[in-house]
Amino acid sequence: MSIFSKNSNSQNNPEQDMQEQPDNFSQSNVPEEVDFEPAEQNFRSEAPVRSSINSKPSILSEGFVFEGTIVSDGVLNISGTVRGTVTAKSVLIDSTGQVDGELNTENLVIKGNLKGDVNCDDLNVGPLAHVSGNINYKYIHIQRGGKISGKFNKN
Amino acid sequence: MAEANQQGCLFVGEGVVLKGNFEVPDIASISGVVEGEITAKQVIIEATGVVRGKLSGESVDIRGEVNEYISSTRSLIIRSTGKVSGSINYSEIEIEKGGHLHGELHNLNPHS
Repeated sequence: MSIFSKNSNSQNNPEQDMQEQPDNFSQSNVPEEVDFEPAEQNFRSEAPVRSSINSKPSILSEGFVFEGTIVSDGVLNISGTVRGTVTAKSVLIDSTGQVDGELNTENLVIKGNLKGDVNCDDLNVGPLAHVSGNINYKYIHIQRGGKISGKFNKN
Repeated sequence: MAEANQQGCLFVGEGVVLKGNFEVPDIASISGVVEGEITAKQVIIEATGVVRGKLSGESVDIRGEVNEYISSTRSLIIRSTGKVSGSINYSEIEIEKGGHLHGELHNLNPHS
C-alpha cells in the first residue's frame, strides 16, 4: 500500500492521502492504471495471512469426555472421548482415544477408535486402531492389523 | 517361491488377457489381465496386473488393479502401486502409503 501511494502521489497529486486514491486512479493515465492493479492485488493477498499456527498441541487427556464441536487451527491430541464434530489442522487419536462423530482435518493419525464421517488429506491408521464410517481421503496408510470398515473414497 | 514347485499354480504373464473363472489350489500370480473370477490360496497381482471381477483367497497381495470384489480370509496387502475398488472383505489388512482404495470395506471377524 505504501509503495503504491508513493507512486501515485509523486506522479499525480502530492497532497492526496490514501482515502482519495480512487479519485486519483480515475484521473490517472493508462500506464499508471496498469501499475495500480497488481499493486492492489498484492496488498489484498498478503492481508489475510495470520500467524495462527500454534506449535503447541491441544490435548484431551484420558478419561476426559467432550461433547460438542471442536475447532482448531493447530494440532489436537485426543486420548479421551469426543462425541461431536472435530475440525483441526492435525488430529491424533491416541490408543485410549475415542471419537464418535464428524472429523475434518488435514492430517489424521488413528491409534484408537473412530466412528463417523471423516474428511482428511493424510490418513494413517495404526495396528490397534478401530475405524468405521465414511472416509474421504487423499493419501491412506493402514498398518497391518488395523480394523477398518465402511466406505472409502479417494479424493 | 512358486518357481520351485509350480504344481497347482497359475501364472498370467504381462500382455496376456484371460477370461473366465479360475480355481487355483495354490498360487495365482497375475501380471496380465483377467476378466472373471479367481479363487486361489494365495493371490499376487503384480504392478501390471488387472483383475476385472472377483478375487478370493487366503493371502492377497495387490500391486496392480482389482475391480469389483476382494475376499481375503487371512491377509490382504495393498501395495503403494495398488488400486482397489468395489467391495472388500478381509480379516487382516495393510495398505501401504500411496495405495488407492475406493469402496466398501468389511472386516470378516470384527471382534477379534
